[in-house]
Amino acid sequence: MAVTILVLIPLVAAIVLFAMAPSATADRLVALVASIGAAVLAIVVSALRLDVDVMWIRSLGIRWHLAPDGVSIALILLTALLTVGVVLHTLHGPPPQGGSRSTLLGCVLLVEAGALGTFLARDALLFFVAFEVVLVPMWVLIRRFGDHHRTDAVRADAAGRFIFFTVLGSTLMLIGILFLVYHQGTSDLDVLAAAHADRLSHGLQVAIAALLLTGLGIKVPLWPLHTWLPAAHTIAPTAGSVLLAAVLLKMGTYGIVRLAVANVPAGVATLSPVLAILGVVGVIWGGLACLVERDLKRLVAYSSVAHMGFVALALASGSHTGLQAALFGNIAHGIVAALLFLVVGDLKEQWGSADLAVARASLRDSAPRFGVPLVFGFAAALGLPGLVSFWGEFLALYAAWSPAPGRPVALLRACVVVGAVGLAIAAGYALRVLRIVWAGEGGNPAATPVRDLRGVRRGLIVTLVGAMVVLGVGPQLLLHLSDLDAAGVLGAVRR
Amino acid sequence: MTWVVRLIVVVPAIAGLAGLLLGRSRPIARGIAVGAAAATTVLALAQWVAPLRTADVTTFGALPLGDLSVPLHLLSDRLSGLVSFVVALVVLAIQTYTVWYLRDDRRYPPFAAGVSLFAAGMLLVVQSSDLVLTLVGWEIMGWCSWLLIGHDSERAAARRAAYKAFLVTRVADVAMVVGLVTLSVRARSTDLLAVITQPEGAALLTFGLVCVVIGVAGKSGLVPFQDWLPDAMEGPTPASALIHAATMVAAGTYVIARLFTLYAADDAARTVLAVLAAVTMVYAAGLAFAQADLKRLLAYSTLSQVAIMLAALAAAPASVGVGPGIGHLIGHAFFKALLFLGAGWLAALVGSTALAAMAGRGRSDVLLRWGMAIGLAALAGVPPLVGFFTKDTVIDAALEGIGDGAGFRAWVVAVALFATVLLTAAYCMRAWLLLDTPPPAPTGVTEGTEGSLDVEAVAARETERPLDVSERHREPEAVDETPPARPDHHPLHAEPHESRLPAQLREAQLLPLLRTVSVAALAALTVLGALLLLTLAGSLHVGWLSALVSVLLIAGAAGAVWAASRRGARDAADVVPDRVRAGAVAGYGADAAYAALGRAVIAVARLVVVLDRDVVDAYPRAFAATAHAAGRAGVRTHRAVPSVALIGVVAGVLLVAVLGVTAWR
Repeated sequence: MAVTILVLIPLVAAIVLFAMAPSATADRLVALVASIGAAVLAIVVSALRLDVDVMWIRSLGIRWHLAPDGVSIALILLTALLTVGVVLHTLHGPPPQGGSRSTLLGCVLLVEAGALGTFLARDALLFFVAFEVVLVPMWVLIRRFGDHHRTDAVRADAAGRFIFFTVLGSTLMLIGILFLVYHQGTSDLDVLAAAHADRLSHGLQVAIAALLLTGLGIKVPLWPLHTWLPAAHTIAPTAGSVLLAAVLLKMGTYGIVRLAVANVPAGVATLSPVLAILGVVGVIWGGLACLVERDLKRLVAYSSVAHMGFVALALASGSHTGLQAALFGNIAHGIVAALLFLVVGDLKEQWGSADLAVARASLRDSAPRFGVPLVFGFAAALGLPGLVSFWGEFLALYAAWSPAPGRPVALLRACVVVGAVGLAIAAGYALRVLRIVWAGEGGNPAATPVRDLRGVRRGLIVTLVGAMVVLGVGPQLLLHLSDLDAAGVLGAVRR
Repeated sequence: MTWVVRLIVVVPAIAGLAGLLLGRSRPIARGIAVGAAAATTVLALAQWVAPLRTADVTTFGALPLGDLSVPLHLLSDRLSGLVSFVVALVVLAIQTYTVWYLRDDRRYPPFAAGVSLFAAGMLLVVQSSDLVLTLVGWEIMGWCSWLLIGHDSERAAARRAAYKAFLVTRVADVAMVVGLVTLSVRARSTDLLAVITQPEGAALLTFGLVCVVIGVAGKSGLVPFQDWLPDAMEGPTPASALIHAATMVAAGTYVIARLFTLYAADDAARTVLAVLAAVTMVYAAGLAFAQADLKRLLAYSTLSQVAIMLAALAAAPASVGVGPGIGHLIGHAFFKALLFLGAGWLAALVGSTALAAMAGRGRSDVLLRWGMAIGLAALAGVPPLVGFFTKDTVIDAALEGIGDGAGFRAWVVAVALFATVLLTAAYCMRAWLLLDTPPPAPTGVTEGTEGSLDVEAVAARETERPLDVSERHREPEAVDETPPARPDHHPLHAEPHESRLPAQLREAQLLPLLRTVSVAALAALTVLGALLLLTLAGSLHVGWLSALVSVLLIAGAAGAVWAASRRGARDAADVVPDRVRAGAVAGYGADAAYAALGRAVIAVARLVVVLDRDVVDAYPRAFAATAHAAGRAGVRTHRAVPSVALIGVVAGVLLVAVLGVTAWR
């Protein structure tokens, strides 16, 4: 019951917010209470592993089955806590352009409801329904609340791109789910995972895996299906960018684990070379693009493509270590990307643009409270040990070097070498940004400095930096959480 | 006692974080930095005196990773004990010195915190019994080097040097990561003991070991990664001392020493190491001779000396072990730290690091003069200073390697070592003559180098930049015996000294004392350091014959330089043709080669961006265009033929009516 309430709180709050008059001031209260309530409840549900399992649509055999497990708990907490952060950030900033604040907050909470539903769902079709809920509010965030320094056509293009790509992905995923459900006779993910797709022919498994991986790969995003991401991130408001990077992309990788790896293991194993190659091409491609990109938000988006490439590489290894690395890398990227988009978004709010070619005062001297988190964020982006993302990337490389039996070892090892080169490229772009923005290369010391971070927004960023350090020093916290259930997901492969 | 092992890493790490968070006020930052360094030194001393002889000191608990065991243990034995102690000692001297050196720098707190964090990284590498922890410490050092070298980030040269240092070492780290992964995969564990005792997988082993050698080559500045280190001199002098003396560049030697059991059995990997080290050793010593800047001279000498340590590991027979390499690491840590702190002192006196500006200024202070003399003599390997013992132990180990049947690699190393002894003595003598011979005419500081002006002009990039900066910042300071000018000091940093309160007066007397104490301590260690090595098996083993040969070589080279300099009347490097010398000052185009590589990568990156926009993204755009076109076409058909549609509707209605009527009937 508590689980149902957890999903309903943001959903109902979103509806209330949408119904509010634009001039109403109660939106603040509603959004805060709903997001904090959901966060508290999410912690309770995760700690006690509460679940609910009742028949939902009897004629189709679809159950209302929501339950957290080791694979999803970290994502549930990330979503719920970050939503609180995004709501606070929105409330402590200038009023949004393009619509009322209550609408923006409603979109944020609706995204949260959909994401929580996706991470909790244990029924394939329920998963799909929840997965689709986030699309429209995210479209609104980009289309209506997007960067008003750009023309309407640019916003329309970014939002349209987002919808086109993700709906295409969802459609492919739905076809895959329907194939799976039709042939297995059930949509319950626990039953599906336990069945190991043993009764399906290998060809069918590969076909289903291909549909699911392509569909979800758009969301991750895997190269070459990534071109929606930079546009969407550049245009989206800070709240949208943070949710997009920290929550929506995670739904893609989570879906790959939950739907593809768990249910059609042999199909994923057959396709793992493709997954690995696309992953490392993404690592290199995203990294190289970052080396010359001028727009800071676009740059962070391309770095996301690179980081998710490591997650794909880890998944391709098929080993327990690989799955642990992928789940860890997923969370790590969520935290780091959230931090970077918050910092960069706040900077862009004051700068008016995020163009690196504009000569500005260096953050190191003029705004250290922006500068230090930016240094931490880009240190994490290049995989500095002691910060969270190192573990995901190092373990991904290890896992791909010693993959599960039956995977193409030579190819994966070649991918490891290429991926390691990606780490050097990451250092190149991370230090390039810091050299320009933090140390003031090509800058103008006399330029008006930005107002330094203060109050709640500063608190948010400090919290994220703290989380990065804590998980970077103690990766066990997360790895223990997912250890048993990661082994469970792979049970089919091992047998 | 296991807590001592952990605290040696944790104390400087916490000091680093605390310094960043609480370091608003200078006294607190000073207290944290020096206090933590002192505490670490005491802890390291305790560990050295009573090592636990264990390799499974737990840290955060093992990582749950299914098929891979990552215990994250620390170790404590004689080797780690001694190296940790030396590192801690040198860091303490540097932190103490920094209090004086950066007394007017408003960025002192983050700098001191960076030094603490850097020390934590190095101590983690030393104490680590797990390849992952080694990598963690390794990368943290790299990052801190970026922070410290780029300390004066107002200056473009400092920004570039920091960027270059991190990128060059990071590129080599690609191989390091792959190598450590390979070694761990063999053992299905990252535990050091498991890795070095794993018997299987010979082919992968060689690959992994060669990869680690490449990684080490990056941080230790072996050819072709050598050029980041001289540029890293853009950092404040304490940072240079830290990077050169006991930490970053020496870390590679320690890592290879830890894996020595594996290297001893792998001829291929050791040959790669031997060749890289031999080439670097001679090449860097040669370049050092021609430098026009004291700090860059010391940087090239570091490259050469670190290569000696690695050469020892490459050539020593398995029975000799890591003693010679580690011994030289320790000896070098003392005399190189001494030389850098002395160089910083000199630079503060003259406002520049250019040798021409320093002519004769070594005599300004008796401790400074003796410190530089001891340091340069130890670097040259003059008995009975520590450098003599450690270097000749390395030579002896290489000769034993030849006797042991190591063949090619031991020969290469032995020949390179003797050549390096010669060159090192030459450049040390030259530097000494320049520092200690007062310029003939008291009016012009630069006149000591008449004839080398062409070179100076060519080398303007190196020499004039510091002068340029410092000259804007020459204000006389009443109480302190030294002018406040610091070569890498930005005018913005100075805090106003309008009214001097008694506390400031006291501080002005105290601070130079800190500098004097740290230099004196390092000088003493350089003289007596060999005593420390008595506790490490194999680190003191001087062959009489080879020692005699090297002493003769040193004497010969020094004498030749003295003659070539006309008894100190001119720069001995003037005998080198100007073009060669200018090339050496510029590192023979290594920087240009790196830059060209960087431009090539950027060109590929531009191509990627074009492909991303015009190829990958063409499909979605084409789809959108198609959809628009189809939509417009649909609209047009709809609008264009209403009559046809109407006819259709009418016909349909008729048809339905007819059908209905017929059916009804």
